[in-house]
Amino acid sequence: MFAFHAGDPPPPRSRELPAGLADRVRPATPVAGRTLPVPPPLAPLFPGGSLRRGTTTTVMGQPGHGATTLALALLAAASTAGSWCAAVGLPDPGVVAAAGLGLDLRRVVFVPHPGSGWAEAAGDLLSGVDAVLVRPPGRARLTAARHLTARARERQAALVVLLEGAGGWPEGGDLALSVGAVEWEGVGRGHGHLQGRRAEVRVSGRRAAGRVTECSLWLPAGSGAVAAAEGVGAEYVGAEGEGEGAEVEARGGPPAVGRGGGPEAA
Amino acid sequence: MERLVVIWCPELLEEGARGEEARRFARVLARAGELCPWVHPVRLGVGALPARGPARFFGGEEVVVSRLAQTVGEEAKVGGADGLFAALLAARAGLIVPAGGTADFLGPWSVATLARPDLAVTLQRLGVTTLGQFAALPAASISDRFGADAAVCHAVARGESGELAGLRDRAIERRLRVARGEGPDQGADTPPPPSQPGFFGGASEADARAARSFARVQERLGVEAVLMGRVQGGRDPAGQSVLVPWGSPDTDAGVAGGAPWPGRVPPPAPSDVLRTPRRAEVADAAGRAVEVSGRGLLTAGIERLSVDGGPWQPVVGWAGPWPVTERWWSVRRRRARLQVVTADGVARLLCTERGQWWVEALYD
Repeated sequence: MFAFHAGDPPPPRSRELPAGLADRVRPATPVAGRTLPVPPPLAPLFPGGSLRRGTTTTVMGQPGHGATTLALALLAAASTAGSWCAAVGLPDPGVVAAAGLGLDLRRVVFVPHPGSGWAEAAGDLLSGVDAVLVRPPGRARLTAARHLTARARERQAALVVLLEGAGGWPEGGDLALSVGAVEWEGVGRGHGHLQGRRAEVRVSGRRAAGRVTECSLWLPAGSGAVAAAEGVGAEYVGAEGEGEGAEVEARGGPPAVGRGGGPEAA
Repeated sequence: MERLVVIWCPELLEEGARGEEARRFARVLARAGELCPWVHPVRLGVGALPARGPARFFGGEEVVVSRLAQTVGEEAKVGGADGLFAALLAARAGLIVPAGGTADFLGPWSVATLARPDLAVTLQRLGVTTLGQFAALPAASISDRFGADAAVCHAVARGESGELAGLRDRAIERRLRVARGEGPDQGADTPPPPSQPGFFGGASEADARAARSFARVQERLGVEAVLMGRVQGGRDPAGQSVLVPWGSPDTDAGVAGGAPWPGRVPPPAPSDVLRTPRRAEVADAAGRAVEVSGRGLLTAGIERLSVDGGPWQPVVGWAGPWPVTERWWSVRRRRARLQVVTADGVARLLCTERGQWWVEALYD
């Protein structure tokens, strides 16, 4: 702690807090509980390698470019660690894909059609669960955005805002992830099958002090989980997953569970 | 909005002096439950069930309604519509309101049916007497002038929502358990009310807190608004992905379906499984529609795709077709699936049946 004091003389005694006050100003949540885990391939995107409670993370991308996959994946490790998660406003959630990303379905609720009550529903959920993914139906109003970020901070929950296409978030998030160029692998003109999507993910925002500002991910890889595309990380398939720690081939192709290029034969 | 069938027993709406109404209503539900699954009590004398599954099974909502009316007894009236509010009125009139016809059906009813005396009196002074006239008022003015509850009523009158505070009796499950002679808090065969802490077994503080917030969202948006996902065996993404209301008995079932399903679409699974597939058109280089032949092959290479009558997008890759013949023992359904990647980098799962292409799912 206080690494910036390393070369300085120790602070004078008078600056120390009186014993009674020091107890009272202790943070309400223990330090270990201030973050939520994220799947290891996504950890380099986050300062401290985890999703910080009370912060707002926006996930942006063109529709169909994997922003939904990335946003859902952010909840995966938290749900397997026992945290309740909620996804508001994803109209047609693919449950199989969510399970493939490593989400524990017993810990995730979906509110697919909140309509105009999306912000109120997300606000209710922020006071009950640890992580809320919300996809506003259009451009969010400033008051709604401020209300949600404040609620997340107050209840120490992580807010993930999924923005696709034109929809914007009037408040600058603490951290902004955006999916850039994407490319599908495994499908040719009439042969193969979708095996993975390589996506460039860029990090910016107020708290973007992570180790990397841009990284290449499989969103998802052939198994349905997220994986690092440069071979620097391991594929993440949930807490009990057998693939955890498995090395990923560097740049050769997606770390797929090979299915022989087609559906299982009838 | 979910399509609901409502069973309305006019003689059992009020608890009488001898208190036998709850017992008789429990028997009505039991008889209905033998015919259709998912029958649940709304309040004393009123039960509801989702219409889609039984209608498909019995061959039409008319058949479901008439069979229920014959089976349950107690001079029950049965009707169906989109959403609970319209379905209740439809049941009282013994009608089936076609999908999408809710607003037209509600139009002539009095604003008093919303069971908001203050609102009804105010509206009648303003010359607004029917739900149709109420629905025609601008939504923004309603919420500004009358507040959030009136805005919900307005959405109900417009046929956009079916849930209204006060329609459901939260204590009805407990009353019925008492009526059946079970303990008020035990009773293995009925689900405990979702708001009850301890539903998840562990009863940790976090679980109770989460349960309270889900119940709040349910009060706001309706019981079917908060869903949990389950994976079951099946060939297509829509068949494998199941969303069930939070608090229903089998939400704890978790992940199942490890058995191989021949013809299954290989992983990764699509992230958006469209509940209503979108119409699509697929064309070759010459602009002719591409079909799947009887031998399960494409009639030409795919060059362009159009969704919902939108602009043509160039196709950069596709995989398939994977033919699926399901239910060969009854009605033969011949379908084929195709994964298509367009030039903008978007991958879709397409399905064709009888010459028509549909977008079933998106890989977002």
